Amino acid sequence: MSSHRLFRFPKPQWVNSANTRTAGVYTAGAVFSLGFFFFIDAATFSKSSRNGSDVHVKFVDWIPGICSALGMLVINSIEKGRLNADSYSYSGNGVAWKARLVLFLGFALMAGGLAGSVTVMVLKYVVPEYPFPTLWFGVANVVANSLIMLSSVVLWISQNMEDDYTYNLAL
Amino acid sequence: MAGLKTIIALSFVLAIGFLLVILSSALFKNYLTLLVVATYVIAPIPNWLCSRAQNSDDFMDSGSTGIIDFGRFLTGFLVVMGIALPVLLAHCYLITYPAMAMSIIGGLLIYGTIISFTMFFQEEQDF
Repeated sequence: MSSHRLFRFPKPQWVNSANTRTAGVYTAGAVFSLGFFFFIDAATFSKSSRNGSDVHVKFVDWIPGICSALGMLVINSIEKGRLNADSYSYSGNGVAWKARLVLFLGFALMAGGLAGSVTVMVLKYVVPEYPFPTLWFGVANVVANSLIMLSSVVLWISQNMEDDYTYNLAL
Repeated sequence: MAGLKTIIALSFVLAIGFLLVILSSALFKNYLTLLVVATYVIAPIPNWLCSRAQNSDDFMDSGSTGIIDFGRFLTGFLVVMGIALPVLLAHCYLITYPAMAMSIIGGLLIYGTIISFTMFFQEEQDF
């Protein structure tokens, strides 16, 4: 096992424990919730009495968040084992290719969401040079989309831990 | 193992939590903070439901953990929501900052009670 390693430092032992995996899934949910509420905060603030300006959060501001959440759904719906499924004979013709295509679509949606949030911030709030309580709508949008992406990364990593863990359990 | 003292202590903590949340809404005549109680009461439910939904019979089949992960994801979401919701309401001037602090502390006490209750009394059912 140790002679097939790619990197110099061994993977620490706690990475493969079931507790780390559970904690990773909980953390992913927490980070997603944080990002979601950053954006909801901007949308609520836009309607509240503290918003002194004429600028409001419209549907345009929602599009990047919707794209990111859809991308996260797509990425995490894929069965991870199917990505290398061409080596198994039971899975039919070209399953790995289809799985990778869907995965690519998911990543494209997520990257598009992040890029779209930066675009909305720049075009709607930075270029007209709004002061800060208004600029917060754009900043919160970018923060929300980054946190959704981070949550997806955490979920992906902690679900890929599963293989080594169940392998050890089966032995 | 979990005796009478544990039950009494937990119920005291639960009562203090509810007291804080109800005070935070009633003192300021603004009942939006009661949403925190609702959030923390539903927070453990996805976890329980999804742990029932898995098939625990086939031990080797690793494909069935997705639904448990979904339940855990939802629980993590709801726990952070219980903190983020009062902060959001206070930031948008719907409740005041003292009400926010009281409802967050009260909500955490309620959730801690629920979690420790399940941790104390779950072991005897399993075996």
